[in-house]
Order: sequence, then structure tokens, then C-alpha cells
Amino acid sequence: MKSVLLRLVPTLLALAWGSGHAALDSPFLASRVASGELPVLAERLPEEPAVAELHGDSSAGKHGGTMRLIFGASKDIRMMMVYGYARLVGYNRELELTPDILRDFEVEDDRVFTFHIRRGHRWSDGEPFTSEDFRYFWEDVASNEDLYPFGPPNELMVDGKRPRFEVLDRWTVRYTWDAPNPFLLPALAGPRPLFIYAPAHYLKQFHADYNEPEKMAAKVDEAGTRNWAGLHTRHNHPYRFDNINLPVLQPWINTTEMPAERFVFVRNPYYHRVDAAGLQLPYIDQVTIQITSSSLVSAKTASGESDLQGRHLNLEDYTFLKQGESRGNYRVRLWENGYGSQYALYPNMNSNDPTWRALTRQSDFRRALSLGTDRGEINQVIYSGLAREAGNSVLPGCSLYREEYAKKWAEYDPDRANAMLDALGLDQRDAKGTRLMADGRPLEIILHTAGEGTQETDILELIGESWAKLGIKLFTRPSQREVFRERVFSGEAMMAMFNGIDNGMPTADMSPGEFAPTAQTQYQWPVWGQYHETNQKVGEPPELETARDLLDLYKLWSLSGNRDERAEIWHQMLSIYSDEVFSIGLVCGVPQPIVVNTRLMNVPEQGTYSWEPTSFFGIYRPDTFWFQ
Amino acid sequence: MTTETDEESGHYVSREPFDPRSIEQIAAGQESYFLASRRRLIWWKLKRHRLAVWCGFILLLMYGSVLISEWIAPYYYQTRNSGAIYSPPQRIHLFHQGEFIGPFVYGHDFQLNMENLQREYVPNPDKVEKLRFFCSGDPYRFWNAIPMDFHFICPAEGKTMYLLGTDRLGRDLFSRIVYGARISLLIGLGGIAVSLFLGLLLGGIAGYFGGWADSLIQRMTEIIRSFPELPLWMSLSAILPVTWSPLLVFFGITVILGMLDWTGLARAVRSKLLALREEDYTVAARLMGASSGRIIRRHLLPGFSSHIIASATLSIPGMILGETALSFLGLGLRPPITSWGVLLNEAQNINVVALYPWLILPVVPVIVIILAFNFFGDGLRDAADPYK
Repeated sequence: MKSVLLRLVPTLLALAWGSGHAALDSPFLASRVASGELPVLAERLPEEPAVAELHGDSSAGKHGGTMRLIFGASKDIRMMMVYGYARLVGYNRELELTPDILRDFEVEDDRVFTFHIRRGHRWSDGEPFTSEDFRYFWEDVASNEDLYPFGPPNELMVDGKRPRFEVLDRWTVRYTWDAPNPFLLPALAGPRPLFIYAPAHYLKQFHADYNEPEKMAAKVDEAGTRNWAGLHTRHNHPYRFDNINLPVLQPWINTTEMPAERFVFVRNPYYHRVDAAGLQLPYIDQVTIQITSSSLVSAKTASGESDLQGRHLNLEDYTFLKQGESRGNYRVRLWENGYGSQYALYPNMNSNDPTWRALTRQSDFRRALSLGTDRGEINQVIYSGLAREAGNSVLPGCSLYREEYAKKWAEYDPDRANAMLDALGLDQRDAKGTRLMADGRPLEIILHTAGEGTQETDILELIGESWAKLGIKLFTRPSQREVFRERVFSGEAMMAMFNGIDNGMPTADMSPGEFAPTAQTQYQWPVWGQYHETNQKVGEPPELETARDLLDLYKLWSLSGNRDERAEIWHQMLSIYSDEVFSIGLVCGVPQPIVVNTRLMNVPEQGTYSWEPTSFFGIYRPDTFWFQ
Repeated sequence: MTTETDEESGHYVSREPFDPRSIEQIAAGQESYFLASRRRLIWWKLKRHRLAVWCGFILLLMYGSVLISEWIAPYYYQTRNSGAIYSPPQRIHLFHQGEFIGPFVYGHDFQLNMENLQREYVPNPDKVEKLRFFCSGDPYRFWNAIPMDFHFICPAEGKTMYLLGTDRLGRDLFSRIVYGARISLLIGLGGIAVSLFLGLLLGGIAGYFGGWADSLIQRMTEIIRSFPELPLWMSLSAILPVTWSPLLVFFGITVILGMLDWTGLARAVRSKLLALREEDYTVAARLMGASSGRIIRRHLLPGFSSHIIASATLSIPGMILGETALSFLGLGLRPPITSWGVLLNEAQNINVVALYPWLILPVVPVIVIILAFNFFGDGLRDAADPYK
């Protein structure tokens, strides 16, 4: 019955367009349609558009309006790729993977992935989106040694082997691996999605295989890049939104060239989603983005300059934002933050300092630091007691949560911590009571943060006080994020403070990669992470047995085709990670203020604000938000 | 007056005994004025400048407080009270329900407003908390050496008294301002000492010897002056190692401020010396065989010392503002050391302006001290040349 209905929907919709398509199209595009610059709506939509499902608290809307956002740096316009959330497959609110850009997809044993493209789907410039775009990416981009010198992206490789790629017809492609590839679909649905397609019709002009060598050389010369690969890459950063000519499939497309202080995004006339009544989404015609200093965002938001703001706001702004509610015509909602820990400390086990490096690799040292941190005080002083004191692990409400993960080594017990430090041979102290390391230097930790506000330094001041009771001196060095990363990667930083794990609400089908050395941006083991990330080309293999165990488990997970087995592996990893305290989590579940214009509809009252898996607002589908 | 013509010469000669006051009678006060020493004259002239005197008095008070910050502050500057975060200032009252009971504050009732998460403090008229005087309170090390717990004023036993409110960690702002004064004011004096030393030395060499030494120093001055000041301060203070103790950073900042400030002083000294060394009395001293050292010390230095003092006084506020600016930008002093700039740095936040305005109060002592220095320096400059 259901399938019959589903099949009927497109027919019904087609009938609806036949009768009065003008009413279904946004008036914003009317003049361009009238002048013949754009085809009528029925010709712009795929034959079977995606129909947005509206949740209990949302309502069908109408076209129009401009949504204003504020970001702290012009490169943040990439957030429009996160918020826009048009993905080949995407998460719904229950965090299940559903087809979105794709009409449908089939998976056999996690090995064979067949993707069905919507017939008649078009890029934002009106050119058809077909299997040629997948072929172009796979054969001409990912497999090209100039463009991808280290081989195709990690998520497309299983055991270092490439998939067999087939074009079944103009609307169907298939990827086949010999072993399971559980990374592919989550990567496609992520906040920074894996792009396995590219607008071939546009990018071919920059590709050496499709141009005569002389012409190519002339183009490269003109652009001033080192080679044709640089030229191609420069024009193909779909995530960054920095090339206004690059065709995309997102709900809104950028019309402002970098650099700018104000960006205007307009609706994509060829977007593939419609609402139940057949109105093409997004409801909102334009999105304008104001770039300002991140410290001014709360002030500007409070004066009503933003219609939807979560970025650069935090709990300490809540009172102030609440005061401005009536003046600024907005409401403040409190969503839950999805970080595994609001902030976590990462002892750099790849530090350049051999004494310190040896120390951080001792489990008991990390445990003692964690035991000697007074989380209760941080919660009370900084978060008014609204957060939860816990280690850096998954959050309650997630199917993988167990209390022991959150509580392990996370209680405040300075006596035990001191005893553990003494047992580690750190029992010598200098005149000021600071412990001495094995080489006689005092145990002074310089902690690097990428902090912009005072919150991080306040937390560190509190931690510094509780660590002083352990005989450890803490110095804080705030720097810009790029500098901060560089210092951690190079081993110059002894310890780093950053957000806890990004995805605090994983399911067993999501990658446990954050709990194993798999990426350079894991600040406790950047070099080991880099080793995995670059397929053993750069970096070093993990030298710590427990870290190796985590990596092995992670690989085991990736080979497993069974959901229960995956959950079991997840639990093993979570248990090791918490017990070894590879990162020292502080508090989690910090409420996140979300400012929503009173006229902006369909933004949920409650939600999880996180990078993964919700892509901030992404899975709540901003293309269905509308202005009353 | 009897005058008659001298027969032989034909001149008029007065036969009266010579009386120097015959033309103009000088009062006793005037006489002491004409006979007064230079220093005394400066003092008299300065005294007539009422504003300068008041400002001098304020400066004296503020610098005096620096010696006994620990006694004046009711709390230690790092004492946190998690139960009094963002507490507004508590007013001192004398009368409770019409009855005199001496200085006291009303205790605050605290509640967290769950609606907007604001920490609300309401004075409770039933909680009369009498202040204590000459009491023991927070322990500290006087001048960082002697352990003591004496304070001029303390809250009632186990109660609170936040005269200027508290910050986001529940630290008493008044105490922090008092402790901050020590750093902010001393940095001015320290910086000017460095600058004065360099300015006198280099300006003196340039002015007295002239020639290639003069040219060299002049060019150096020009180069240093051509750097934009703030970026240079910023880059210099950014290279101070992070492991330096706050005290060492403090000295580092002082030296940085002084090293970049001496140029103006050196020029003043040089031009003054160039003028004075051509004066007749200097030439006379040189012809009589006085050594360079003696000429500089005995004949030249007194000629411009008052001027130097005045211009040094006028550049102290620049130093204080320099430190405040650096710390405000997060490049100067770092917590836990506390200066007015550090306090202002912590207040640069829209929440503070909107919800906790008392945290901007450290601006007040900055303004007061800058104005005081400027008026006092002005008066001093006018007084420096009493013969005008």
C-alpha cells in the first residue's frame, strides 16, 4: 500500500505542476523565468524530486525572505555547506541514513554500493547531473596522480585497495570492494561530506586530459598556479564555496567572490527537494552572511542582526541574549551541545621533549592529572552547575553510553593523584613545591589553547589551581587556531586544550575513528594519527601498545559487517579510551544558546548542536525553514 | 636729596650716604623672594598652582597606597568565592532602620534565575553585617615576603563585603584594583627610570660632545621614533618567554616601555645642553680649566634638571597607558599578576557592559592617575623656570 502511494506521489506532483506550476515556484525567480533565462519549474526539477518530510512541530511554509547569519571569518561561509545539508545520503532526525540527492541506494554486505541518481537532476547552472560526474571524479580526479598524489581519499580505500567502479547507465553507478567499507556512507552524510562526484562539464576545462597541452599551459600561466593540478584544485573546492562559478547541488549558492565582508547566497533554481504541496525548497530565497569579529557576534545577535545563530555564542552569553529578546525580535533556545566533552586536555604524546613525552605515555600520569582536576568547581563556576562532570566519551542518550565511560578516573581525588605521581618517580620537589621531572627540570606544563574568549583561560586558571595541589605548574598560551595546530603537530606544544570528541552521539555504524590514532587533528597523538591518515607515508606508527590496540580494534570494526559485533568493538574501544585517559575530559552536556528570529519557523525547540552527526543545523533541514 | 656739582670734574655727586632702597622700597617678603634659592622658588611657584598641588597630593596618596596594598585591600587578590560570582557592589550603610550602628553592609541573598540564567543578588535588610576594622582576614605575604593577615577593613566574620562587586570567578574587584595599582603605578616609575637613564646618558653625550657622536645618536633616535609604537611594543612583548614568572614579565615590560621612550627625553637634554654650553658662564668655567664632568654636574645639570623632571613627569602617564594598552590587548602582563590593564582586558566583553558594568571600574583609577600626572606635570613645568 505504502509503495503504491509513494509511486503515486510523483504522478500527483506532476499533475499539480501541470495545473499551476507558477504558484509552486518562488516569486524570487519569476522575472528570470519570464525572460526565458530560466526554464519553468517542472523542467528544472528532477523527474522524481525528493519530498521533504515535515516533523511534528514543523509546518508547511511559503517562499520568500532573507535569512541573515553572522560568522567570525570569511572562510566560515563553508558553514553553508554544513547547514545546507544536501548530501548523496544524509541522516534523518533519528540518525538513520536516507537517500537525499540520490533517488535510492542499495548496499550488499557493506561491499557493493549501487547509487541511483534522480533522472533529470541538474547542477545549479542547469547542466544535467549524471553518472558522468561520478565517473569524472573517480577516473579523472581521484585516480589521477597529479590531483591525488597519495591516492584516492581514505574512505574510498579498503585495505589500501581501490574499489571497482562501474557506470551501469546514465543514472546508476556502482562501487565494489572485496571487503566491507563501513566508512563510505557516514562520510557522504558528514558535515564536511566526502565528494565522490564533481561537475565534469565545468571542471574539464581545467583538466590536462581534456585540453591540448599548449592551451593548458596558457591557462596555467594565466592563473599563476604551479601546474594544471593546482588550477584544477583551485576551482574545485565544493566544501569551501569559494568559487562562485563552481556548480553545486546545495539549496543556496554563493554569489559573492572572496574576499568580502558580506556574502549573499541565493536559492538554487535547480534544487531537488520540494515540500508535500510541491513548492520547491528552500523556502527562503536568500541567505546573507555578515563577517565580523567573533567577539562581536553576541552583541550583534542581541541587536537582532542575525536570524539564526549558534556559532560563536556560548552559555555565558545567555543572560545577555535573553535580555535582548523583545528588542531584537528573537527567541533564545537552549540546545544540547554534542561534544563528548566541552573542552578536553590533550597531553601531546608526540612532543619533542623526550622527558615529557615519556611521562605522557605513562597511563598513571594521565590518570593522575584527570583525578587531580576539580571538575565540580569548573561546572559550578563557569557553567552555573548546568553541565555534567565527565570524561571525554560518548554522551548519555547515545546507545553506546555506559556510565563507567563517563565516570572513569573523572572523580576529584587529589590524594590519590598525588600518590600516583609519587609512585611514578616524581617524588622530588623544588623549593617552591613543584615536582621535578626525571631530568631535574620542574614539572611546568605549557598548555596551548586556540581560545578566543576568556572562558578557556578561566577554566585553565581553575585547573591550574587544582594542579598546583599536585605540585604541577600550569602555564597557558593562547594562540590562533592555525598557529595552535601547527605547534601541536610539530611537537612544540606539551599539552593542548580543545573541544572533546566531535561526535558525542554515535551509533555503532558510525566510525569509532575519534577514539583511535587515525587523524593528525587528534592532539594527543598527531604524528601517529598522521601516519594512518596518509596511508603510512608520513608520520610514525603508534609506539604505545594501548594506542595500537585501539587502532587494531578500529580496523577490526571497519572489516566487520555485523552490527552487534561493531557495537561490541565500540564498547571495547570506549572502555580502553576511558581507562587510559588519552584525553582529559572536563564537563559535557553544556547547553548551547540558539538564537532564532521570532518569524523564522520550523527551527526545532530542542536539538543537538554539534558538528557530527547533526552538522549543526543540517539534519534539521534549514531548507524547510521559512519566514512567517 | 641734596646733590651738588663737583667743582673739579663738573659732575653731580651726591654727598648723602648711599642707600640702595632709596629708589624703590622693598618689603620684607620681597627681599626673601629675591634672595631665595632656586629650589625654593620652584616650590613657591608650584604652590600657587592649586590644581597641581591637589594632583600632587592625589599622586602621593596613590603611590603611598602601593606600599601597603595588602593592608588596604580587604581580600587577597586571588581569593575566589564560588558563591559570589558576578556579585554587584555592596553599599556601606551607617544606619539600620534609623538606628546608628556604624559601617555595615547588608548581606546578599543569592539565587540563580533559571529563566535567563542570571545570578541575582538581593540585599537582605535582615542581614546586618558589621564591618571590622584593623582586623585579621585573608592571609598573604606582605611584600611577597612576610606572612601576615592584617587588613584595615574586613567583612564580618564569614560574611562578604564587595565594595566594587566581584568578577566572573568571584574575586573582589576593589582588592584587585588596589593590588593592580601596585603594578600599574610602579611600571610607570620603572619605565621612566630606564628612559631617564638612557635619555640623560645619550642626550648628554650628544649635546655636550656634538660631532659624530651627536650625529650617530640623532640618527638612532630618528630610527626608533619612526617605528609605530604600538606594534613595536606588541612584538617585543610577544617574545617574552611564557615560562617567565609574572614578576620577570613585569620587569620585561618595564624595560620595553622604557627602552622605546627615551628618545624624546634625549632630544630635550641635547637641545638644552647645546644652548647651555654656549652660555658665558660655561665658557668661563671651561677657560678656567674645569673638567667636563664638573662642568656638566655643577654648571649644566642645575640649568635643566627642573625641566627634565617636569618632562619625565609628563611621560609617566604614557607608560601607564602603554602597559594598560598592552595588557588590554592580552600582550602585556598575564594573570595571575594583576594590573589595571589586565582587569580591563578581562572586562572587554559585551556581557560585562550590559550586565556587570562595575567591572569597567578600573578605568576610573587609570583616568584619575593620568589626569593627576598631567596637571601635576603641567604645574611643574610652569614652575620649573621660576625666573620667567
